[in-house]
Amino acid sequence: MKITHLTFIYFITFIFIPFLVYASGVNLQVTINGTCGNGTIDSGEECDGSNLNGKSCSTQGFSGGTLSCNSNCTFNTSSCTTAAPVPAGGGGGGGGFYVAPAIGVTFSGRAYPKSTITVLKDAQIAATTIADANANFSVSVTGISSGNYIFSVYSEDSKGIRSSLLTFPVSVTSGATTNIGGVFIAPTIAVDKSEVKRGDNIAIFGQSVPSGEITIAVSSEEEFFGKTAADPNGAYLYNFDTTQLDMGQHFTKSKAAKEGAISSFSKAISFLVGTKNVSAQPAKCPAKADLNNDCRVNLVDFSIAAYWHKRALSTEFKPKEIERLNGDGKVDLIDFSIMAFYWTG
Amino acid sequence: MEQETRRRRQGVKTLLVSCCLLLVATSVFATVISFDSKTTQAQVDKNFEVTLFVNTEQENINAFEGKIIFPNDLLDLKEIRDGNTIVNFWVERPHKEQGTGDKKQGEIAFSGITPGGYEGEKGLLFSAVFRALREGDGVLEVKDVKALLNDGKGTPARLSLSPFKFIVSKEDPLVPGLLIPAPEDIEPPESFKPEIARDSTIFDGKWFLVFATQDKASGVDHYEILETRSGIVGTWIKRQGTWMKAESPYVLQDQNLRSWIYVKALDKTGNERIAVVKPRYPLKWYERWEIWIIIVLGLVIAYAVYKATRSKRQGARK
Repeated sequence: MKITHLTFIYFITFIFIPFLVYASGVNLQVTINGTCGNGTIDSGEECDGSNLNGKSCSTQGFSGGTLSCNSNCTFNTSSCTTAAPVPAGGGGGGGGFYVAPAIGVTFSGRAYPKSTITVLKDAQIAATTIADANANFSVSVTGISSGNYIFSVYSEDSKGIRSSLLTFPVSVTSGATTNIGGVFIAPTIAVDKSEVKRGDNIAIFGQSVPSGEITIAVSSEEEFFGKTAADPNGAYLYNFDTTQLDMGQHFTKSKAAKEGAISSFSKAISFLVGTKNVSAQPAKCPAKADLNNDCRVNLVDFSIAAYWHKRALSTEFKPKEIERLNGDGKVDLIDFSIMAFYWTG
Repeated sequence: MEQETRRRRQGVKTLLVSCCLLLVATSVFATVISFDSKTTQAQVDKNFEVTLFVNTEQENINAFEGKIIFPNDLLDLKEIRDGNTIVNFWVERPHKEQGTGDKKQGEIAFSGITPGGYEGEKGLLFSAVFRALREGDGVLEVKDVKALLNDGKGTPARLSLSPFKFIVSKEDPLVPGLLIPAPEDIEPPESFKPEIARDSTIFDGKWFLVFATQDKASGVDHYEILETRSGIVGTWIKRQGTWMKAESPYVLQDQNLRSWIYVKALDKTGNERIAVVKPRYPLKWYERWEIWIIIVLGLVIAYAVYKATRSKRQGARK
């Protein structure tokens, strides 16, 4: 009799409850938070950032390709390739099987040390990675169809300031991995004053590659150029004497050069030369187009703007249109163009 | 006096040369919006395809807008294909619009953006497949076109527009590849990630869902949505029939965000891709009817096993 009761309990425990757990969609997951992301291989980590612990695709059983590290410090073999076996010349044989090469695009190049790099595929986030201490990165987007894509790459520096988007129209061919190397993300840029008293210095700073040569351009009636060097962390600072500038609004931008490679210019930021000094905080959020205040410009903002396209603006939306779009009291293509410029995905 | 005339002639020459140079420079650096087709000769009762391209001439363009004007009496618009377009998000997906003036003219309006901008020589905007209705000469034109620079201000780019002239005849123009087959497409639309959002300025502050994807071969045809609070079993049952056609942004029915949301993107050949959004506040296990069905079923089975075992043992004792 006791045994029969036990059978009943065992049935409930080992057969019924696991089924119940499965049906209720409960996921049991154990996460060990270690020091992943410090660039050093710690206990339980296969890799960390660009530190692959001397491993490559071939040591992982592949014939080639690029091994990278996932954000949870495990190997990412999605860009590793397996050579297709040469078809046997008759006579049976067998054994081998054809592994279709993954269709994908790999981006590699320079950003800022330990910075986050985001890849957008057709304007939506497709992959992110972290650059190593030398600002080098490699990131792959796989699982895509053949066709034309617009890929964009941007990075975020140690202060959370985003670079401008670097855009690559790519035609992806079936069964091939496209490598886009030599990507050099433009420096980030900020100023310490939104208004500077004429004759005082304004600090222009940001981040780029370690020890890179930074060229600063300040627009006026004539354009002024200055050069400075980034420190080993990629940070740079240039004090610009505003004596030579006229009163009014001016723009500054920067670009970096290292080992013969030159980045494009950063986005231009503005400051006023006037009669007093007004300090400025580096802007982490996009200056324009962020309609839902989440510090991103993406499909949500596009949808909000699209809602107001060809409609009379409500009293609630009007101030937002003035502040975040072009302020002409309507939502049209110009507003969408502004949005496309400040896009973060 | 003669010197004065010479000086004037010299001035006119300089002015003419400057004007010519200016014109050349303008045309060199203008963004070109043009048509391309396999042929300029169409056959009555047959389809022909015309594609609209952009050549940005080293400019970075991030927004496009315009209208294609076509003769309604000569051509019937059968289909618009935007499968491989450089436009990432359409503000107005290319569509036929009834012309405001001349009823003999049909219009295809379009408007969209490419975040980060496009710089290239042959960026595909979209294709239009027409059926030729009768013999005659016709022209496809683009009007009200805008291409805006990726400069954060929406500055208009200089434009150069090229019309497309064609002839419709009864005879077969014998142009290879003139038949317009449906694009071969065995792949589903690209994977995508819908996002739940809320903004006080639209939909009375209700939660809505945004989604977008592309299909590189035939193009996305439409989206369908399924909201369900059920788990696996209930969803399986619902997925058999209660999908609703939807567009982004979509106002969620379940404003408490307790439902699983399934978004299906279908391309023009019927391939589909489903994206799933998990409920932000999922139901507790005891709030789900299928869990209770499983519990009751389990108990019934367990009781039946128990009874069977018991009667077997009792039988064995006897």
